[in-house]
Amino acid sequence: AQTAGARASKEDDKNAPSIINAEQMTGRPDREVFMERDVEINKGQTTVTSDKATYRIVEDEVEAVGNVRMRRFGDTYTADEFRYKMDSGEGYALNPTYRLGANNGQGQAERVDFEAEDRALVSEGTYSTCESPDPDWYLKADTLKLDSGLDLGVAYKSLLYFKGVPILATPAMSFPLSGERKSGFLPPTIGSTNRGGFEVTTPYYFNIAPNRDLTLYPRYMSRRGLHMGAEGRYLEPTFSGQTTVEGMLNDQVTKTDRWAVSSIHTHAFAPGWTYNWNINAASDDDYPSDFARSITGVTQRLLLRDMTLTYGSTYWSALARASNYQVLQDPLAPIGRPYDRLPQLMLTASRLDVGGFDWSVESDVTRWWHPNLVRGDRLYVNPKISYPLIHPGGFLTPKLALHASQYHLQNQVPGQPTNLSRVLPTFSIDSGLVFERDARFFGQSMTQTLEPRLFYVYTPYRNQNDFPIFDSGIADLSFAQLFSENRFVGNDRISDANQLTGAVVSRYIEPSGVERMRVAVGQRFYFEPQSVTLGAATNDSRSDMLVSATGRISQAVSVDGNLQYSQTQNIMNRANYGVRWQPAPKKVLNVAYRLDRTQNPQLEQVDVSGQWPIARRWYGAARVNYSLLDRRVAEGLLGLEYKADCWVFRVVGQRIPTSTGQATTSLFFQLELTGLARLGSNPLDAMQQSIPGYQLVTTPSNP
Amino acid sequence: CGFQLRGASSTQLPFKSIYIGLADNSPLGSELRRYIRASGDTVIVTDQKAAEANLEVLSELREKAILSLNSQGRVREYTLYYKFLFRVKDSKGQELMPATDITLKRDISFNESQVMAKELEEQMLYREMQSDLVQQILRRLSALKSA
Repeated sequence: AQTAGARASKEDDKNAPSIINAEQMTGRPDREVFMERDVEINKGQTTVTSDKATYRIVEDEVEAVGNVRMRRFGDTYTADEFRYKMDSGEGYALNPTYRLGANNGQGQAERVDFEAEDRALVSEGTYSTCESPDPDWYLKADTLKLDSGLDLGVAYKSLLYFKGVPILATPAMSFPLSGERKSGFLPPTIGSTNRGGFEVTTPYYFNIAPNRDLTLYPRYMSRRGLHMGAEGRYLEPTFSGQTTVEGMLNDQVTKTDRWAVSSIHTHAFAPGWTYNWNINAASDDDYPSDFARSITGVTQRLLLRDMTLTYGSTYWSALARASNYQVLQDPLAPIGRPYDRLPQLMLTASRLDVGGFDWSVESDVTRWWHPNLVRGDRLYVNPKISYPLIHPGGFLTPKLALHASQYHLQNQVPGQPTNLSRVLPTFSIDSGLVFERDARFFGQSMTQTLEPRLFYVYTPYRNQNDFPIFDSGIADLSFAQLFSENRFVGNDRISDANQLTGAVVSRYIEPSGVERMRVAVGQRFYFEPQSVTLGAATNDSRSDMLVSATGRISQAVSVDGNLQYSQTQNIMNRANYGVRWQPAPKKVLNVAYRLDRTQNPQLEQVDVSGQWPIARRWYGAARVNYSLLDRRVAEGLLGLEYKADCWVFRVVGQRIPTSTGQATTSLFFQLELTGLARLGSNPLDAMQQSIPGYQLVTTPSNP
Repeated sequence: CGFQLRGASSTQLPFKSIYIGLADNSPLGSELRRYIRASGDTVIVTDQKAAEANLEVLSELREKAILSLNSQGRVREYTLYYKFLFRVKDSKGQELMPATDITLKRDISFNESQVMAKELEEQMLYREMQSDLVQQILRRLSALKSA
């Protein structure tokens, strides 16, 4: 019921004539008119109706009594007694009620003083966005300033009533008079967690400018103390960023100061030139699990500090970077510290379609630093040239590449070489065809494609056991990986290859060009044993097989399935499949199964989540992520929302594992008063992140 | 079984010239331009006003969301999203295609000890999604002729 009417144009002609109308008119010509019964006075966008009125022509002023009603720019006022200057918009009303067009804000008062066309001062009045004459919530204030020009309301010495009970008293508070973002309190969150005890957060939002804002998060935690947070955001034509600073002086539990900083910034300071920073830091290993408000924060174990400077032109680009990580250790499951890149310099040049040829050269020199592992400088140059032949029915791309690298190492094990170099050529040929036919998909006519693809790679073998590993790793087996020349990601291991990848994709495409469904299968075949390895040696004749099917079966049902099957071991190494059913707005059910045997420890989970209306005005939301290997719930969430016309109440309980044998459980309550406080805080974020397809209960169902 | 090799008639775009609102050095733009050139006779022009169709990029976003945690609270899988929002207008500014969103996603496993390699793997997956996106954009563009 919060469909705010579009604000009428405020451009009014002050010289427009005042037009008067009534059943009976008497008076002195050119001085004043006395009117009775069905009085109507109109000037531009202001209309006054009443039982009786006097209009003073020279002053352009109305004095009205009995069923007075005034409309100006979409706002409506009623009064017992009313005096108003039609040209300046000044005047007053006694025993008025009011209703604002932009957001249905309404109330009653002892008196309203009209200060100008778009400003009114309400004395001893109420304010609410509820429709009913007996509102569920309202503000009662000594003085209310309503400024529809600024879209801002301010209540002085106010008490907030909910269901007739006063719940909050403030000397002054501001709120928006439309759906626009305005400075003000965000809905406070009240709750309890097993790590911090009872807590209350009352965020305050400053809308500094349309492209700048600041939110403060004062948060009282009964066991620890007062935690303060501030988040600032800015967006300018050439630069933008966001910085969050938070902390607590003298945490009552640890007896230490706790803090965290996170800042990202990007600035295109000259044509082609950009610099970025992404800086994150925390006072201690447990900071995120003790204080973070969202799951993305809680699970942070690597805090990146990265600064880059880039230059890009049409054909070449350059990058300089300094980067390292703060590792938040879990003593029971330690994390290997990543290398620092201090610095990394990269130069890339490429041109497409030069006489049919595409070429590129990537070169990179990086100083890798680690407190206890081998350190050193690594330089590589990686030129590539290809000749893509593209045709509507298919493509053929022969490609030649060279990977030349050089290492100067320090901190090397005695007896091991400190200078290493390697040059390896790679030849590959990628090819694919596209077949099409008209087909039917669940009763709809569509185009079905059949796209076979073959990819051959040859790289000679070179023993690389002496080379350190700075950034190389084994990638997941994916379609992207199957069609890469190197079996490894990174530049420390260049796989020997004499191998062929085969894949077939079939898509169902709607007449509008929308891809509705995709089924794909792919596998790599090795003609020689793979001698370059990371970890255990492999001598398989073929990779695992990948099978994937994703798309929408009907309007409401979509499926997503990916399988990685080993034929040599006859087991499923990875599987990830799920179904989503979304029959209507605010009705969604997700079921997913995930298996990953390539990780240590292995992962096997069933994930069920959904949002569903459970009774009139009541919505439930839940998620259970059950770990089959541990036989317990890894993540769980249960939420309940009640949506009234002008407020929403929600309660959300959540459990998140934070480290070995530990989890954070929390229970939060929130009351959101529509039009008084903006959306967006912890319980809502938790539901949005946990339940794919979750929709705000305040979203209109029939837009 | 009725499958036929795709011919030029089904990839030909329904306009003689197109302007692509992506920077010259954008990898997505380069790949898209190359495939448009290969798809038929449509000319890619650099003057927005001279183009019969104007592909306007409203947003190109890369996002990363947690897919699964293990029982120690470590992220073990992420989902990478590539969200592309665009529309096509004719030379008079009339919409040939309203704002259209194409979202692609790929799952990637994660391990803190492999963070550098995972960063490069993410880039590889985004490159593959980019190629996938180019094909999906072309499908939508060539479908405009039936409209």
